[in-house]
Order: sequence, then structure tokens, then C-alpha cells
Amino acid sequence: MIVDSPTQARTGRDGRANGQVPVVSYRDVVKRFGTVTVLAGVSIQVHQGEVVCVIGPSGSGKSTLLRCTNGLELIDGGEISLDGKPLPHDWNGMRRIRQRMGMVFQNFELFPHKTALNNVAIGPKTVLGLSRSEAEDRARGLLAKVGLADKAASYPAQLSGGEQQRVAIARALAMQPEVMLFDEPTSALDPETIGEVLNVMKKLADEGMTMIVVTHEMTFARRVSDWVVVMDRGTVIEQGRPQQIFEAATVARTRDFLSHLGWAG
Amino acid sequence: MELDFSPVIASARYLIEGLQLTVLLSLLTILLSALFGGVLGLTRSYGPSWLRWPIVFYIDSMRSIPVLVVLVWTYFALPIITGVVLPPFWAALVALTAHISAFVAEIVRAGVLSVRRGQLNAAHALGMSRWQSIRTIVLPQAIVRMLPAFGSIISITIKDTAIAAVIAVPEFMNRSQTVAGQSFHPIEVFTVAMAVYFLILFPVTRAVDALYGRLAYLGRS
Amino acid sequence: MTLDWSVVPQHAGALLEGAKLTVLLAVVTMLVAIPGGIVLALMRLSSIRALSLAAAAFVELFRNLPLILVIYTAYYILPLATELNFSPLATGIIALSLNVSAYNGETFRAGIASIRKGQSEAAFALGMSHWHTMREIVLPQAIQRVFPVLTSTWVSLFKDTSLVSVISVGELAYVSMRVRSQTFRVLEMLTAMAAVYWLLGYPQAKLSDWVNRRYGVKE
Repeated sequence: MIVDSPTQARTGRDGRANGQVPVVSYRDVVKRFGTVTVLAGVSIQVHQGEVVCVIGPSGSGKSTLLRCTNGLELIDGGEISLDGKPLPHDWNGMRRIRQRMGMVFQNFELFPHKTALNNVAIGPKTVLGLSRSEAEDRARGLLAKVGLADKAASYPAQLSGGEQQRVAIARALAMQPEVMLFDEPTSALDPETIGEVLNVMKKLADEGMTMIVVTHEMTFARRVSDWVVVMDRGTVIEQGRPQQIFEAATVARTRDFLSHLGWAG
Repeated sequence: MELDFSPVIASARYLIEGLQLTVLLSLLTILLSALFGGVLGLTRSYGPSWLRWPIVFYIDSMRSIPVLVVLVWTYFALPIITGVVLPPFWAALVALTAHISAFVAEIVRAGVLSVRRGQLNAAHALGMSRWQSIRTIVLPQAIVRMLPAFGSIISITIKDTAIAAVIAVPEFMNRSQTVAGQSFHPIEVFTVAMAVYFLILFPVTRAVDALYGRLAYLGRS
Repeated sequence: MTLDWSVVPQHAGALLEGAKLTVLLAVVTMLVAIPGGIVLALMRLSSIRALSLAAAAFVELFRNLPLILVIYTAYYILPLATELNFSPLATGIIALSLNVSAYNGETFRAGIASIRKGQSEAAFALGMSHWHTMREIVLPQAIQRVFPVLTSTWVSLFKDTSLVSVISVGELAYVSMRVRSQTFRVLEMLTAMAAVYWLLGYPQAKLSDWVNRRYGVKE
């Protein structure tokens, strides 16, 4: 693992302690698919500059929660708020909200018919209305930031998984979002390339980006996150600071889950 | 625009007879094409290599020449060579069968190809002869995959019989034209003709779509 | 049976003109039917029920009618419905375009539907609208994907142009058969007609096969 030092105290911790208005807040969120209840009353608060990691077994609803956050799925009960204001229920309202959130998908979902540069530039160009040169300048800057300046003219098919995911992160950042959502960003990667993606994510975290990360990478969660949420079967069974969750979890199911992953604390 | 359907109703019997011929021609063509096309397709895939290229030539030629041309040639030109004059219905049957068989042959070839080679190997390993393994292992799987495409052939055949009107086969299209010409109400007559063809073809197309949907999971075995 | 093949070279000029019109018919029809098919596909996938049903009805109608009947009906209906005079050529093009647009509508609909949902989700996640997502992300990929099918459709269209000969459009079939009537050289002219179609159609069919092998979707 390349991630090397536990993060220093960031605004998030103080914000959580001081009761600041959370950037994203989930209050009793319910989501059903047909007769199956995937989210059964989830309540979480994410503060400015915090990295919140959501962990738990498959099927616990983690991805669904993320997809409800930016409106790819609509919730059936409860409320999700951004900066204190509940999310709208209509497409156009959600479209504007989505511009303020960035999402990184498990299988990257880069646009195969566009170069890396155009993948990153397309958001600012079509949505924010930047001119082509402005959008491309921004894209170049972001590609350099994720370490792929030399791959600007490459197509996704020519890039490794780790490189594609880094382009995907740059693509999301191009919209200058307030929150970044990561849906199992390294689950589809070869072990050799996981590190390069996690490093980029850590860099983002150190710069103060508010991040909600669904992940199986426990070392990353332990070292980079400010707050850990443990989900199982649609509910939050435990949430707290990483040291507490990983070293002294109070709920038995949490301890079971972590020990199954070989986490010795 | 005033519509007067009475000429259609007056000629209903005449038109229905034409429709019966359409159905008959379609059925016979499908049966003969399935047979002939099946033989062609299997021979191409499993037969001796010297037969392969004439069959491929035949299939590709039928794909390149319009049905109308085949029909007209069979009815007007073939008798000059053979000395035998075929009545319109039989000329149409020969021409349509020749044309559609080529497509059936292609479907058979694709169906057989879609069954993984490993299946044949496994059959041989069990000691089956070539023909036995084809008959009991490959063909049953291939035929299931061929069904949707074959359904399309049924639809195409019915539509192609309408072209036989051009060589005076008294099927439904031909008779509709006659009634249209005699009654001076072409709009009404052709509207009815469209409705009739639609009612026959729609269920076939639907069934084919459903088959494609049901069998999509098969992909390669 | 005495054959006189000299009629063929004698009328080569007329046959060439006919072949040119055949090609023109096919090209013009495709130029109309490709955008036509895309529009139909988008209508079919639209959330506005009326548009979706209209497109579905249009596609189902023309998929289930013999083209020759559509040609005859267009010939009689168009002048009456629009109070305008349509040349046989225009009528032929309209009938062919309606027919091929319907098939392309189904082709493009399947092509668009085959693009992974994640692609449009990634676009939405950036805040892109439905329209931008379709225009920039989904349609370009769909068009690339259905290109092999379009070449097969082209090959069929090329042959189907022969049907407009029944309303006296002077393409290859019509010209050949007219020369046959004039010269009474039945076998020679009809064989020549078949041969010219073969010479034009065979390479196109082979090219289409190659495109399908190279670019076709493999399961």
C-alpha cells in the first residue's frame, strides 16, 4: 500500500464537533426496488472537507445510497440534503444538483469514442458552457494533476484500468464539484494499479475535498477517512471515527465483517 | 375525399381466391426452400470441398439479384432454354424457391457455426461418427438458434409472393390490381389490400421478435 | 432457338442510364432513410407517449407490408392526398424512403438500446441533459455499432429499387424490359439484366460481408 500516513485533523472534525451545517445529510432514507427494501432508514451526516468511507458486505445498499445522492435513483422515503436544502424530485432540478457533485464509477464509464482530453473537457464544454479552448485548458491541468498529462490524446481502450479511473476522476473534478462520490473506485482494478488511484484520492482528500467513498479498501478507509459508516442489509449498523470502528467496533456484526476481510486492527 | 368500398365488397370472392393462392404459394415456397436450402447449407458446411464453391457462388448470386429479376427470367427466359413453358404459378414457385433457398442456406450455415466446435469434439470423443454427431448434437442446438431467422424468412416469402403479380400469377396482389383498375377506385382497393397483408404479416413479425427475445440468452453455446 | 446477343451492346447506353438511375434511387433513399431512421428511433425511445406510439406504429406498418404494394398505393394516393403532381421517380423515392426508414428505425432503436446504461449515467452524473447525452455520448456510439447492419440494409435496398419499375421509373429493370419488348430478344435482354444486377450487387454483398465480419458485434 502506498498510502503512508494517517491524515491530519481537518476542518471536518471540527465541523462535526461544532455542529456546522453538513454538506450532505441523509435523514431516514428509504429506497425500494419493487418489493425489496434496499435502504431501510439511513441517517448520515457529511461535513465540509470530510472523507466519509462507507463499508459493509455486498448487498448492504452502499452503492444504492451513493446513486440516490446524485439522483441516479430517486428515494422512496426520508430526505437527502445538500448544503441544508433537500434534493429536488424533478429531472431538471436534479440536473443542476448533479453539476455540484462529481461521481466516479466502479467500471470507470469513460466515453470510448473520445480521447482522454475530450472525456475530461466534455462536462465543462457542454454543461458549463466553457469555450473549447477554456475547457481543454482546464482538462489538461486536471490530467496533469492526476499524473496523465502525456495521455491526453489517448483513447480509453489504450489506457490501463488505473489510468482510465484516474481520467474518470479528472473528468468529475472538471466540473469543480462541492462533493465527490466514489462508487467502489478500485474494485475493478488489477492490484498493481489500485495504488495509483488511491494516491490520487488521498491527494484530493488532503486538499480538503469533501468525499463520500464506498470501498472495500480497508487500509485506505483506516488511514484516509475522517468518518466511517458501516452498512449491512440496508441500515447503518455503526458509524464513527476510523480508529474506533477498526480497532474497537462496538457492534458484533461489524467485528465479524472486518475479521472476514482479514482485518486484524 | 369520398371513399367507396363497394367495388371491393363486390369482388370479395375474387380477391379471396387470390388470397388463397398467396397462402398456397407462400407455404409451398417455404417448405421447398427449407428443404433445398437446408441441403445446400449442410452440404456447404459438411460436404466435399469441391461442392463448396459452386454452392457459395449460387448463394451469393441469389443475394445479388433482385427477386423481380429472378421471377421475370424464370417465366420468360427459362422456357426458351428448356423448351418447357411453365405456367405462371409454377414459374413463380421455382423462382421464389431458388431465391429463398439461398437465404435459408445462409441461415443454416450460421446456425451450425454458432454451435461451439467443442461440442463436435466431445461427440467424436464419445465415439460417434461424423454424421451421428452432426445429427444428434449439432443440429438440435443449431435449429433452435435458427428459428428467429427462419421466422423472418416466412415474412419475406409472403411479401415476395406479391411480386409474382408481375408475372401474372393470379394471387392477391395481382387480383387487387385488377379490381383497382376495373373499378377506378384504386385507393379503396389498395387500402384493403394493405390491411389484409398487414393482418397476415403482423403476427408473423411479432412471433419472430418474441423468438429473438426468448433466445437472446443463448448467444454462443 | 436462335440467339442474337448483339442487342446487348447495341443498347448498352440505355442499360447504363438505367443502372445510373438505380444507383441514384438507392443513394437518395439512404440519404433520407438514415436521418429518418434516427428520428424514428429517438421518437420510439422518447418519454412522450404520443411520439413513441406514432413511431412504433409507423415502423410496424412498413415492416409488415410488401414494398410493391406500398409503391402502387403511393402512386395512387399521393396525387389525391396532396393535390400535387408527383413524377413516378419522386413517388418511387418516397415509397422506398418510407420503407427503409422503418427498417432503419428498428435498427437504430436496437443500436441505441445496446449502449450500456452506465454510459448515460456517467453523462448524467456530469450534469448533462438528456439531449446532450444522446447527441454526444449515445448516438455516436450507436451509429458506429449499427454500421454493419446498415450495409446489409443497403444491399437489400439496391435490389428493391427494381420494384419501382412497375410504375415506369426508368431504372435498370424497366429499361431492360423495355428493350426486350422492343427487340423481342427475351433471353438475351433478361439475362443481360440479371448479369448487370449481379455485376453491381455481388461486390456490394461481399463488401457488406467483410464489414460485418470486421466490425460486427461478436457475442
